[in-house]
Amino acid sequence: MGSLATRFCGVDLAHPVLNGSGTLDALAAGTLGVSAFVTKTVTLNPRAGNPPQRIAETPQGMVNSIGLANPGLERFCDEHLPRLADLGVPLIVSGGGWSREEYAVAVRRIGAHPAVAALELNVSCPNVDTGCISIGTDPAETRALLERCRAETERPLLAKLSPSVADVSAVALAAAEGGAAGLVLINTVRGMAIDRDTLQPLLGGGGGGLSGPAVKPVALHAIFHCRAVTGLPIVGVGGVACAQDCLEFASAGANVVALGTALFRNPGLVEEVVAELPGLLERHGVSTLDDVVGRAHHHQGKALLEVDANHS
Amino acid sequence: MPPDRRTLQVARVEAVGAYTLLVLRNDGGEVGAPGQFFMLQADPEPHGAYLPRALSAAWADAGEIAFLLDVRGDGTAALVGAAQVSVLGPLGHGFELHHGPAILVGGGIGAAILPWLVRDLPGPVTTLLGFREQRHAVCAALIDADATVVLEPTYVTEPLARLLPADATVYACGPDAMLQAVAALCAEHAVPCLLAMEAAMACGFGACYGCAVEIDGEWKRLCIEGPVLEAGRVLAGGHDG
Repeated sequence: MGSLATRFCGVDLAHPVLNGSGTLDALAAGTLGVSAFVTKTVTLNPRAGNPPQRIAETPQGMVNSIGLANPGLERFCDEHLPRLADLGVPLIVSGGGWSREEYAVAVRRIGAHPAVAALELNVSCPNVDTGCISIGTDPAETRALLERCRAETERPLLAKLSPSVADVSAVALAAAEGGAAGLVLINTVRGMAIDRDTLQPLLGGGGGGLSGPAVKPVALHAIFHCRAVTGLPIVGVGGVACAQDCLEFASAGANVVALGTALFRNPGLVEEVVAELPGLLERHGVSTLDDVVGRAHHHQGKALLEVDANHS
Repeated sequence: MPPDRRTLQVARVEAVGAYTLLVLRNDGGEVGAPGQFFMLQADPEPHGAYLPRALSAAWADAGEIAFLLDVRGDGTAALVGAAQVSVLGPLGHGFELHHGPAILVGGGIGAAILPWLVRDLPGPVTTLLGFREQRHAVCAALIDADATVVLEPTYVTEPLARLLPADATVYACGPDAMLQAVAALCAEHAVPCLLAMEAAMACGFGACYGCAVEIDGEWKRLCIEGPVLEAGRVLAGGHDG
């Protein structure tokens, strides 16, 4: 039986299962077994977040409108980072902002901390009107942001992208050109829920971000295309709920996966998936998830991208 | 760390007027204190409800855990139709049981968590319950045979106002508007008051940030801070210390 240990963007991981940003507070709940802990997005200034109601159940998923609630860069670095450094797993800190300079300040400060293995640049939060989401919809802005942040740290920069754009692979390519070491695909998909009785929006912010199994096909498609166009390593996230999903995401082009909404239902899920993976890989005749990565890109000897492009 | 999820068998399901009593056979596992909550999901997982439901027990011990539900949608319907239920908990902070007299105030399905308090509070208990209609009030018999029950348009704050001031602690659970009114009455009479609050919750252990409630003047996660809070921490328009 093979090993689940892998290396992602220079970071050694005991296994390929992480958490998605904003889906686990390791200081409150522990790491739940993830091989690297991804923090909730940190912004320069503290944010209270959006007014309730912040979440609503939807078919095979949920919409959320949390609004990047976070303690701000200063408090995060002074109070949270030292405690996160003691978790015993590599840290990937997610940063967001409203301008290139805000990101740059955060990246410089966070990247200087010895416990930080990599940084995720969230350019795709659907729950703020401006800033990160508008950067991530524009390839030129995304490239410029990556270039600006690249100058601030030696640590690998991962771009977390939204599928709610015309062509996510164009944004991914721009991120690659700007110096991204890897991609995180996907952030939530813009969505909404209406109360069945009042017929009013359920979320306090009106709309929100859809997650859960409902978005899995969207994630697979984005991963497939971004992998083909950039060749960058990818954290696959968006509806991953079991070991089988890990293989499917890897086949589309993800090197490692992150659990998010599925963790809300079952905090024991990381351990369950990690326990199930070796047997599942063996049944597919491979020993590591790396052996599966990108398999969907070739079918019967033909590259699928052109065929797929005609149908998208 | 959240506790391990476990699967418990359904012992019985009973209609209680408009509400439904779901009794799970406990496997001797931890049940916590009144006011703490559990994340419940029918097993196998229902197609129409992706997330577990956050519910505080009506009563619980080593032998059984009981929940009184208002069956409103696919998730609660699946729970009362299941043979077994996946249970995560107890979670959050429950009621601190003060010595001395207690006044229990329940509104609607919020009354569901009071039987356990009636059983465990060490001092004399006065119970006040408010419901929309008589069919909702049927559950009063499960809570306290001597309870004062009012129906809309009378609010449960009316009998409470007649009891105050009192040398007692008020324990309340119900809709937000009721809790604010109860908190305001108690603040006016300097009576200690504990509120069990409710918010939409995906995880129950601090991960989703969905259950934010204004606590101490800022949005905080109810699953971490509560769901039982001193009234002063959530009273609109100021704090009583």
